[in-house]
Order: sequence, then C-alpha cells, then structure tokens
Amino acid sequence: ATLCFQAFLQMCNLPIRVVCRANAEYMSPSGKLPFIHVGNQVVSELGPIVQFVKAKGHSLSDGLDEVQKAEMKAYMELVNNMLLTAELYLQWCDDVTVEEITHPRYGSPYPWPLNRILSYQKQWEVRRKMKAIGWAGKTLEQVLEDVDQCCQALSQRLGTQPYFFNKQPTELDALVFGHLFTILTTQLTTDELSEKVKNYSNLTAFCRRIEQQYFEGHDKDSSTTVAARSAKRSLLR
Amino acid sequence: MAAPMELSCWGGDWGLPSLHPESLTVMAYAKFSGAPLTVNTIHNSWRAPKGDVPVLISEDIVISQPAKILNFLRRQKYNADYELSAKQGADTLAYIALLEEKLLPALLHTFWVEAENYCSVTKPWFASRIAFPLSLYLPGKMSREALNRILLTRGGPPLYSLTEVEAQIYRDAKECLNLLSKRLGTSQFFFGDTPTTLDAFVFGFLAPIYKVCFPRVQLQEHLKQLPNLCRFCDDILTCYFRLTLSGHSPAGQDTADANLQKLTQLVNKESNLIEKMDDNLRKSPQHPPRKLTTLKLAAGGEEGSPLNRLSP
Repeated sequence: ATLCFQAFLQMCNLPIRVVCRANAEYMSPSGKLPFIHVGNQVVSELGPIVQFVKAKGHSLSDGLDEVQKAEMKAYMELVNNMLLTAELYLQWCDDVTVEEITHPRYGSPYPWPLNRILSYQKQWEVRRKMKAIGWAGKTLEQVLEDVDQCCQALSQRLGTQPYFFNKQPTELDALVFGHLFTILTTQLTTDELSEKVKNYSNLTAFCRRIEQQYFEGHDKDSSTTVAARSAKRSLLR
Repeated sequence: MAAPMELSCWGGDWGLPSLHPESLTVMAYAKFSGAPLTVNTIHNSWRAPKGDVPVLISEDIVISQPAKILNFLRRQKYNADYELSAKQGADTLAYIALLEEKLLPALLHTFWVEAENYCSVTKPWFASRIAFPLSLYLPGKMSREALNRILLTRGGPPLYSLTEVEAQIYRDAKECLNLLSKRLGTSQFFFGDTPTTLDAFVFGFLAPIYKVCFPRVQLQEHLKQLPNLCRFCDDILTCYFRLTLSGHSPAGQDTADANLQKLTQLVNKESNLIEKMDDNLRKSPQHPPRKLTTLKLAAGGEEGSPLNRLSP
C-alpha cells in the first residue's frame, strides 16, 4: 500500500525520499502508514495527502469533469473496500499465512515477548474489524472470488486504455498500481491471489507500464518494500 | 418452473415498503427484474431474525445477504442487468462500494446511534415488531452493532472522540450524495431508462433517509437539496411499489421470456408515468401556474413518445 503513495507522488513529479523506521506507526498522526513529512507538517493517509498536494498546486484529476470525478472516487472506494480488505484478511485472518509470514514479519523489529504480544494485538484488532463488516464469516475461497470480481471490474474499466481516465494518470491509477503491484510481488504461502490478478493481462501490463515509467532508476526491492509497512517518507522541496 | 420464493424482511412505514436498507434493496431488485417474491414482513412472531435480515427462502435453500440474494435471483434468470455493458457492470460494483463506505456509516448513525432518533423513532418502531422479550434486547443489540461498525471502520486516530467521527461520517455522506446526484444527472435511472442493480442499491440506501421522519435530520435536509435524487426515489416508489403491474408476466426461463418480461415492464412503467402525470396535474394546487404549464408540456411530450415506442 505504500506503493500507492510513491506512485502518486512520482506522478505529480515531486521528489521523495523513503525512510524506514520501526516506530513509524507511532510517528504518524493518524497511526496509519505511510505518512509524509514536509517541513514542519506531517500528513498521513492517501486522502489528506492528495488534498495537501493539491493545496500546494499539484493535482492529477483537474482535467476530469464532475461525472468522471464521481466515477474515480467510486472506483477508489471499490479498491479500498475489496482489495485492501482482502489483503488484510489474507494477512491476518488466514491462519497459515498468519503463522508463517505475518507474525514473524510484523514482530521482527521487537524483542521477545513484545513481538508476539504486538502481533496478537494487531491480529485481534483486524479480526474485530472483519467481524464488524461481515467478512469474518467468509472463507478464503469467497475472499478470492471477491478479489477476482474486483479485478474483473478494474480490468473492464481499464479496457485497452493506458490509464483509467485515458491519457493522464490520476489518483486512481496510483492506488490501483500500489495494490496490484503489492499483490503480484508479495511472497505468500499460496500464489492464488497473484494468480487471480495475473488472469487479467491488461492489469499486469498496466502495472509494468507504470513501474517502467515512474520507477525506473529507483532500486525497487519488492520483498522488503512490502515489509516497509514501517516506511516514512520525507518530501524535499 | 420457478420454485416459490419467500423473502423475510423488516416491514415499512412512512410510505416505504421497508425501513431496512438491505431489505429495501432486495425488494426493489425483485420488482425491477420481475422476480415473483412473496414478501413476509417480520411482525411480532417468535421467528424473529438473529440479525440476518433479509432472508430469502426458496425450497430448502436459505440465503441471507443482499449480494448473495441478488446473485441467486440472477442465476434463476431474474436479471435486471441484462442490458448493461461490461464497463457499466464494473461501474455498478464501484458505486456500490462507494455507498457502503461513505453513506452507510451515516445512515447507521442516523437510525441507530443518534440518541434522539434512536429513542424516539427507531427503537419503538423495531421493538413493536419483535416479540416480547426479544423486543427488549434486540434493538439495543442492533444499535451496539451499528456503533461498533462505525467506530471500527471510521474511528481511530486522528479522530479521537465520537463527535469528531460523527462530523467526518456526515461530511463523507453528504459528499457521497453529491457525487450520486452528479452521476444521475437528468436521467431516469443510473444506466438509462431501465433500472438495474445499482438503482436497487441506491434506492435501498436513499429511501429510508428521504422518507423516515426523524427529529434529527441533517442528512435528509441535504438530500432534499438534491432534487434529482428525490425524484429518483419517488419515481421508483410510484412505479414499482404502489401499483402492482410489474412482475406478473410469466417467469421465463430462457432469454426470450426475459425479454418479454422487460418489454412488459417498460410498457407498464410508461403507463404508470402517464397516470402519475395526470395525477400531478389534477391535484397540485400548491404548484405555481408556471409549473403547471411545464407539466402539461411534459405530459404532452411523454404521451407522444410511449405511443411511438409501443407501435411495432
């Protein structure tokens, strides 16, 4: 998910520096990662960051009319609703993944017993949220089906265009890129999730295109980037 | 040979067939697609729901969430999205996600968390439809679940108090309503002239906000400033829920029958619209004369086009 922000800021042509910190969640004003630090201002989460950047004079969606803006917001919610929740589900509610990957990775900066306590706490938090929105009763197959439906919708919307709103990239492109790239490059116990995305060739081509256009020249180490849920960025202006 | 289908859901009031957004969505979809559903409103029986309303029962199959119920109906060939393109289908999913993320928290808040609304309207209404002693417990449980959902999905830093969360969710809901209004524009339904799944969902979420009389009504007031959305709700209520002309054509199992169904629905809808126009003309003393002329012209235009469409 950190990739969304990087992609967005790259698309706005704003230079950024990525820094990894273990206590990043606590530094962030909303507790959510990632966040940017500009001068003496700290802003977190995609929505506020987009508005902040817009206030400074950079915006990707100025060329859209009202109906398109509504569509863009709707698709962003779809991605948040389906893909983000599915990613969370897979990381924290699927027992195999939790044991083998998530617990070790999440607790790695801390000594025992803190690592176990913190990861159990986070897991409990995520499971509570899943229960509240009705995802707790879903099996892995159902979650994968939902992801497939979401990818199908994105694929149909993208069609053969280079970006979702034709010629120019927008916040939606950054968001979708971030999620899909993470799914495609994360090593999990099974490959089912990335297989679902790979079924849609225009989506994989889309990811590759954005990667080449905006990230070449950067050292993109995919597996540690995913572990960079504790990533802090600083914007040098 | 369609198996008989029964839908259990919360009943309605204030001119709505149901107060519950999810029940309303399923009922609206059934009307749009012509599915013959027998609707049983929950009324003071011991078979009170355990929170899984609406529930569709067909032979031995029991299905409980709106998305699953709609999928089931589509598999039974009651498909309201028959004419949508792939992109429009994708748009449907996206807008439904928008509704659930941005509008649902505020809707839940208005009904179940806002103290005045809950105590004076929601709790008595629901309690009167649940058998004693569950009526003492169930509304409270639904209220706690609603608050839980709001806090877990939208609460958390930097919003530290309930008032801040409330302010944020109402801002989001108003933005969502504005977006829907822009998307609807001047068309009859979201995808042209026939209602689809998205229309069912939007109607299910908007109608309770629009019609139920609460003491605290900031969302309703905002909605009333968006006349196209109000017109949308009113149209569906008059066309599909007051007059029982839709859904009586034989339930076809193949495409030809489904098309016939669609045609019948269109014809019925047009005649309903004409009747509604006539009604408006006859009993609208509060409308200024200027508006009457507009209605007359519109009625004249409307009568022209359906006649053209009806001729083979």
